[in-house]
Formats: sequence, structure tokens, C-alpha cells
Amino acid sequence: MKKVFIILIMVSLLLPGGFMGKGDSRAAEKLRVGVIYPISGPMALLGEESFRGAEIARVMRNNKGGVAGQQIEYAFADIPDVNAAKSETERLLSQGKVKIMTGAYSSSLGLAASEVTCRKNLIYFSVEGIADQFVERGYKTIFATDPRAKLFSAAQVKFMQQWLAPQLNMKANELRVSFIHEDSAYGSSVARNFEKAAKAGNVKLVSVIPYSPKAVDLSSVILNLRKDKPDVVVAVSYAADAVLLGRQSKELGLDIKAFIGNGGGHSLTSFQEALGPTTEGILNVDFTQFEVNYDFCPGLKEFVATYKQMYNKPPLSGHSTCSFVGMNALFDILEKTKGDMDPKVFRPAALAHELPPGKSANGWGVKFNEHGENIWADPFMMQWRDGKLVTVWPKGPAVMEPKLIKPFSK
Amino acid sequence: MKKLFFAVLALALLLAPLVIESSFVLHMFILIFFYIALSVAWNILALSGNVSLGHCAFFGLAAYTSAVLYIKLGILPWFGLVAGVAMALLGAIAMSLPMLRLRGPMFSLATIAFGEVLRQVAITWRDLTAGSEGLTIPFETGWLYLMFSSKAPFYYLFLILAVLSIYISHRLYYSAVGYHLRAIAADAEAAQSLGINTSRVQMIALFWSAGITGALGVFFTQYVYMIEPEWAFSMMLFSVQPVLNGIIGGIGTVSGPVLGAILMTPLGEYLRSYLGGLHQGFNFFVYGLILIGVVMVAPGGIFPSLVPLLKAKGWVRNGPQETTPSSPPGNPPSSKETSA
Amino acid sequence: MIDFIQVAVSGILLGGVYALLSVGLTLIFGVVRIINFAHGELLMIGMYLSYLLFASIGLNPYLSVFLVAPALFAIGVIVQRLVIQPIQEASAMMKVFVTCGLFIVLQNLALMIFRGDYRTIQMDISMAALNFSGISVSLPRLLAFAAAVLIFGGLYLLLKYTFIGKALRAVAESRPMAQLMGIRVQRVNMLAFGLGAALTGIAGAFLLPFTSVYPTIGSIYTLVAFVVVVLGGLGNMVGAFLGGLFIGLIESFSGTYISPALKEATYFVIFILILLVRPQGLFGMGKGTEEVGLK
Repeated sequence: MKKVFIILIMVSLLLPGGFMGKGDSRAAEKLRVGVIYPISGPMALLGEESFRGAEIARVMRNNKGGVAGQQIEYAFADIPDVNAAKSETERLLSQGKVKIMTGAYSSSLGLAASEVTCRKNLIYFSVEGIADQFVERGYKTIFATDPRAKLFSAAQVKFMQQWLAPQLNMKANELRVSFIHEDSAYGSSVARNFEKAAKAGNVKLVSVIPYSPKAVDLSSVILNLRKDKPDVVVAVSYAADAVLLGRQSKELGLDIKAFIGNGGGHSLTSFQEALGPTTEGILNVDFTQFEVNYDFCPGLKEFVATYKQMYNKPPLSGHSTCSFVGMNALFDILEKTKGDMDPKVFRPAALAHELPPGKSANGWGVKFNEHGENIWADPFMMQWRDGKLVTVWPKGPAVMEPKLIKPFSK
Repeated sequence: MKKLFFAVLALALLLAPLVIESSFVLHMFILIFFYIALSVAWNILALSGNVSLGHCAFFGLAAYTSAVLYIKLGILPWFGLVAGVAMALLGAIAMSLPMLRLRGPMFSLATIAFGEVLRQVAITWRDLTAGSEGLTIPFETGWLYLMFSSKAPFYYLFLILAVLSIYISHRLYYSAVGYHLRAIAADAEAAQSLGINTSRVQMIALFWSAGITGALGVFFTQYVYMIEPEWAFSMMLFSVQPVLNGIIGGIGTVSGPVLGAILMTPLGEYLRSYLGGLHQGFNFFVYGLILIGVVMVAPGGIFPSLVPLLKAKGWVRNGPQETTPSSPPGNPPSSKETSA
Repeated sequence: MIDFIQVAVSGILLGGVYALLSVGLTLIFGVVRIINFAHGELLMIGMYLSYLLFASIGLNPYLSVFLVAPALFAIGVIVQRLVIQPIQEASAMMKVFVTCGLFIVLQNLALMIFRGDYRTIQMDISMAALNFSGISVSLPRLLAFAAAVLIFGGLYLLLKYTFIGKALRAVAESRPMAQLMGIRVQRVNMLAFGLGAALTGIAGAFLLPFTSVYPTIGSIYTLVAFVVVVLGGLGNMVGAFLGGLFIGLIESFSGTYISPALKEATYFVIFILILLVRPQGLFGMGKGTEEVGLK
């Protein structure tokens, strides 16, 4: 009896081998796009949020007639780790009859997937993944619509020089800044760029403190900050660590003049829910969020409404809008090429495509340089005010003036 | 009968890339060969009863050594391979300290800690490893660079690695060293009192195990085209997975891990590809249930449970000795529990 | 000087938290002899249950322990009876890998039900801290510390002075002998697992006021719990408590004076070094071949 069981198990385990030969043959009438995001594993939270933005783009565009007369269809794969990113990309490009890949929220996953794609000389259209490396490898088939990590640090330094220093009656080069960051790819890339930007902008970078986002306790980060006594703390946090930092800063009485987050955990509605009034005054540079000048972001209202309709909740953060805008750019380009994804046709069309800033759902423009970098995408500066994350800088998308509020004081 | 089966199998494997056009199918084969080699390599150490959950350390050490040498100094991966395996062996020396002093679960925990520490070091030592941002391998093709634009060369490369790994494991298993290893796994103190140099024998197993794992790290990195700490030192991907394969297939045998890898690799991929999109986490949920199910039905692994069947067909002569690391030495053998 | 004391205080509080979440594991390991890979998932379940009770009916987590503990007890008993007991004869590593499968199942079940979102509760106490001339003592962590002391103390008394305690210790020391003495070993195993799970659930409820819960949180806590339990000497209650404090202090000091990024790596290294010198852990008895009974 036991033997029968075992044989049955073996047979059923070998069955998956059958799927190896199967290909998806419904390709004909639809426009197939490969879409990969991590929706399980440690990055599930924002991976899922980003995927929703991409999905909304597809639904809305299909309702308007699709692209080049065809309905858009996503060949989706969950990519919880680098091995999965490679496997799924291989599968989609080979069995899945997909000729273009998009995604992926996480920079390391996107890098792995784009290596596979670009080495086959196919288009990798990155709608989310801020690592500078995406566009530094010399590939001619890669495009990235979201702003590079270096733009985040540039925005922070500029903001410090143009607004923060004068508010504090200090000169920009007198400001003491400490940079704390979670040590995954996201935090590390922004940190590295900030080191460069601070040097170039003559801002005094007193310390750089990395920490693991999985840490149970972050009091050592706060205690290090207390030792360094900066005026401004710039932070890159993932998710729950943003909450932990905020709480322990308050508990340990961290005394600083300004706190600038960098997206990630600091943009999440759950951040505000957990900390309540303590979030008041926290600044945050990130992808466009939702309290923003709607004239600068045409289509954002419709996006939020569709999101609420499809998922019964308002968007968690601007990651969804980021993917949304990126996919729309892809669809616009494909409209011009009449659905042709051959790099020989796609690349010139993409390079020729232009959308001025202030014309997309999150205010980003679209214009690719020869490396595939979107030079008209910029992060904005937000601030938590009265429980809302409002855009305060630059003037175009801003709805409010920034205000100097002592962090963690409420 | 057995010889015919294996001859046909060998021929099919050798000719496969010539008939199979799908890049993805070849990729699956490569993945399976990789995990066969990795699981068999891990199992070499497990023969002695030392269950390591830190093999990702060897993988990552070698992978990073080779990648950094290539990217920063332009040293070709073939030399990187030598350097990488050397690093992995250094790691083995480090792991030998707990191995020789700790038993059973304590050793396993120490190996977990070892892998985690190295991962954190790779993240923090940004000047050397580029930290979490990772490194991408610059695009080149050819046997000189161990990177190719089509799948076929990779296929043959990993097939050779899998065969080599099995061969080494087979030779070790049936040698005096292998015999001694299994004796140690059954009862280390008794083995020692019989005059076996337990330290030396375990070190041999550890070095082979670590060395092969390291080599795989170098080759696989050239296949994935990039390296970053969460991946190279991934506990799930390179420490736990070979153990799962070994346990499902049957620890303590040569064929067990092979069988385990052949079954579990496509299963994991299949579940993720076809169930992953349905609902967050559903595919892993099913995978975990299958894991529990198989262990309950075949607690010694699938291969040992099949042995009676295979014996009847004359495929196995002496059958694998059951050398799963059972209760640690010093305890009386666990007696069957009568319902209390 | 003030900073040094603050670092020490934070370390001790953290240590108390670690001790609290490890007590269940040391009991389960001491009696059932199984390294429970899914330990962190039990903690996670306790936290989610507590969270749901708070979010739905506003039940204070410190009160919800009275519901969470029995629930986790039941879960522990079920796991022992349905998953562990059938393979009692298999090798230790097989049992460990069943718990590994369990860990995968539970973590992804949580992901399926709750999605990747982290859940935090906001109570007045969440950010409250006592201030002793510049030294800040986080109130919810202090409560967790107190809970740890009470639970360890209670467990110690249970083990030493009650019949159940003696039965647990007997099975821990020698299963066949206990059986010969008429102790129903299978029942004792279920009790141990259930009790261990319940204590872990209580830990979860005490953690919720100041921590967030999300599906992957289990694996982080499991690793720390293992380190604490092994350092303390498996099955040694007092040892586990002190082990927790020890790890907490190391983490706090290395985080502040070396680098926050390396604090976990530091205690892992120290853990390995200690094991090399004393394989039985800091407070264990015997020669390091684990099972030496519950103390």
C-alpha cells in the first residue's frame, strides 16, 4: 500500500515535466507583454502594489480600444527571487511567445531579468527599478521610465540648499546631515548617490549609517544619531522599519531639525496609520503620491478611482502610479510602431517619443536618452501634514508650501 | 536491462539540445543539472551525519571571488574558478571547526549562522562587492568567458558538472572513506573506537562537498549574469533546497539527491509559474504541503522506499544502507512507541 | 556616560523580548527533541490573532493573551499529534524538515490571507517611554520584559514542583525510562508542544504593541530564538532567559559602537565562537550532545 502511494507521488511529481513542452498558442489576436513582479516573498508588499498599477494601465487602455487595434494581454509571472526572475523571463520569452518584458519593482530582480532579455536582443522596458546600473551596461534594448537613484539624492540636496538651509538661517554648507539607510539594493543605491551629491553640493555629510530592514530593534541607529548630532537626517527605509525608526526616535528623544525620507516605507499609508500625529512634518522625496496638483498630473484622479473600484481600497503608495505611467508610455510607443516589438523598429520609436513633464498621471515626462534613461522623470518632495502626504516641491506639482516642523515632536 | 536504460538515457541527454528548440526547456534541464550537482555535493557531507544548512556560504564565497576578479581585474572565469574553489575551501576550513566539535542540530545551527554572517559581510563590504546593489557580469561570449549566447553550451557544461558530481560522490561512497563516513553517521564514538580517524574522514567529505559547491557557484553566476548578496548567500536557494532534495530523495545514498533534484526542481518551477499568479503565496503553500506529505509517506526518502521494488528488478544489488542521521550517539535507539 | 547606560538599558529590554519569544522553543526542544523551524510562524500566528482581536473588537493585546494562549495551545497540540507524532521514529533531521515544510505552509498561508502588508496597532502605550534622568525606558518593552520574567519564573516552578513538570522533565531526560515509569509519553509530547506554542502566542501578544506583523516576520525571530536557546543550553530555562539577555546586550552594544548593519552578524559570530569553546552553550550541562533534560 505504501509502495503504491510512493509510486503515485513520483508520477504526480513527474507530471510537471509535461508542461515543459507546452507553449501558449493564443498569441495571435492579442498584444502580449511579459510582466514580472515579486508578489510573494519579502518584497510582496510593494511588488503587488506596483503590479496593480500596471494592471490598471492595461484595463484602462483596453477599455479605450487597446493598442494598434489589439487588446493588450499580460503574460504575468511572480518572481520572488533572482533565480525566479531568470527562470520566468526565460519561460515567458521562450514558451510564452512574449517579445517584450516589463516590470519589476525590485532593482536586483529587474537587473537579472533584463540581462536575460537584452542578451537575446529583445526589449526590456523597465517601468520600475531605480538602480543606475539598468542604463549603464551598454545595452541598446533597455529603457527605464522611472527616475534613477541619482535623481533622488540630487533632489534632496537641492531641496536642502534652496529651502531647508534658508529656513534654518544657515548656509547650505553649514548643514550637518546624517544618512541612514536600509542595506538592500534600494537603500544602498540612494546612499551611494547621496554621498556623491553631498560632496558636489558642498553639504556636510557627517555619517552614513546602514541597517538591516529586518531588524527587530533599531535603537542603535538612533543612539548613533544622538552621538553624531546632525541637523538633518535623511533616511531610506523599506516598510516596517520606517515605523520602528519613527517610534524609537520618539521614545529615545531624537533631537533633529528636519527628517527627509526617501520613498519606500515613508510613503506608505500604513506608516501614517501606525505613527499617527508623530508623522507630522516628516519630509519625503519619492515617486509622485496622491496629494498633488491635479493639473500637473492629468489622469491621476481617474487612476485613483479605477484603483478603488478594482481593489476596494485607495492606493497604498505611489509605486502603483509609477508602473501605471511607465506602462502607458510603453503603450504609446507601441501605438506608434503599430504593435511591432522588434528592436529595430521599437528603439527609434522610443527614442523619438516625447511627453512633456506635467502631462502624465504622475507628472513625469517621457524622453529617453541614448542609454534608455528617462531624463524627464523627477521625484518630488512631499511632506506629511495632518495625516496626508502632500506634495510641497517643486512648484509645478506642489499643493502646499513646505513648513519647518520639528520631527517626532508630537 | 539496467545498462540499456542508462545507455538510452545518456544518448537522449546528449542529443537533447540538438532536437529541443525551446530555450526555456533547455533552461529547465540546466537548472535540474545544477541542482543535481548541488544536492549530490551537499549529500557528500551529509553522509557523515553532518547536516549542513550553510552550504550557501561556499556557493557565495566562490561566486563572489570569481565575479569580483573578473569584473574588477579582468581575470578570466577559468582562473576565477580556481580562486573561487580555493575560497570555498578556506570557508570549509572555517566550517570544520564547528563540525568537529558540535553534533547534530547544534552543528546545523552553527552553519546557518555562518552563512548569514557571510551574507551580511557581502552586503556591508560595499567597496569590494558593491553591496546589495550587486554586480552585473559584462557581456561577452565564448568558452573563454564561460558565457554563451545560446543555451546548448551551458547545457553541456552543467550536464558535465552533474555527471562529475555524481561520479565523485559515487567513488567516495564506495571507497573506504565512504564506508567510514557512514560508520561515523551511524555511531561516531563506535567508529572512533574502531580506529577510524573520524576527523580526517569528515574533513575529506567536507572539502569535496565545499569544493564542488564552490565550483557550481562560479559557473552558475556566469549563467545568471549577475551576483548580489541576497542571492549568492541565499539560505533558501542554496542551503535549504539541496537539503530538501536530499531528504525527499533519500539522504545517505548516491542516487537519493539525484532523484530529489529531478523531482523537486521542476515541481517548484511549475508551481510558481502556474500558481504564482493566481494568488500571493499560493504556489509556495502547495509546495510546503507536498513537502510535508512526502516526508510523512516516505520518511526515509523516496529512493530508499523504492529499493525493495528495484531490488526485485535486479537494479540494485546491496541497496543503500540506511544512514540517515538518526538519534545522536549516546542515546539508546528509539523504540517503537506503543500507544500510551 | 548617559549614552552607555542607555545602550545597556536598551540591550536588556531587547534581551527580555528575545527571552520571551524563545521560551516556547526551549520547552519544545527540551521535551519533544525537535528543532522547530516553524517556531517564528507560531509567534506570527499569535501576533496576527492578537491583531485581529484588536482591529475587530478593540481588545487590548494584554488582555487578548487569554484568548490567544489557548488558541495557540490547541494549534501546538494539533501540530504535534498530526505532523510530528506520525514520524516520531524517523531521524531527527526528518522531523526538522517537516517543520521546515510547516514553516513554508504557514508563512504563505499568512501571505495568502493577509497579503504582504505590515500590520501595526497604535495604542497610547506604543511609543510611551519612562524617563529616568535622560535614560529612556520603552514602556511596552518593559512590559514584555516583565512578562518574560513571570513566564520563566512560572515555568521554573511548574517544572520543579508539579507532577506535570516532573513528567515533562522525565520525558526530556529519557523517553524510554519515562515510559517504563508509566508516563504516557505521547500525551506529554502534546502537552509540551501545546504549552510551548501557547507561551509563544503570549509572546506575540506582548510584542504587538510595539512591533509590526507581516508574513515573513517568522523567519527572523526563529533564527534569534535558536541562538538564544542553544546559547542557554537546550532545555535550560534559566539559561535561555540569560541567553536572551546576553544576545540583547551584544546586539545593542555592537549596533551602537560598531555598526547597526553588523549587529546581527556580530551575535552570530559570538554564537559560533561560544559554541566552539563550550558546545553545550553558556549554561548547558553535559558535553554538548543536547538532550540533558529540563532544568
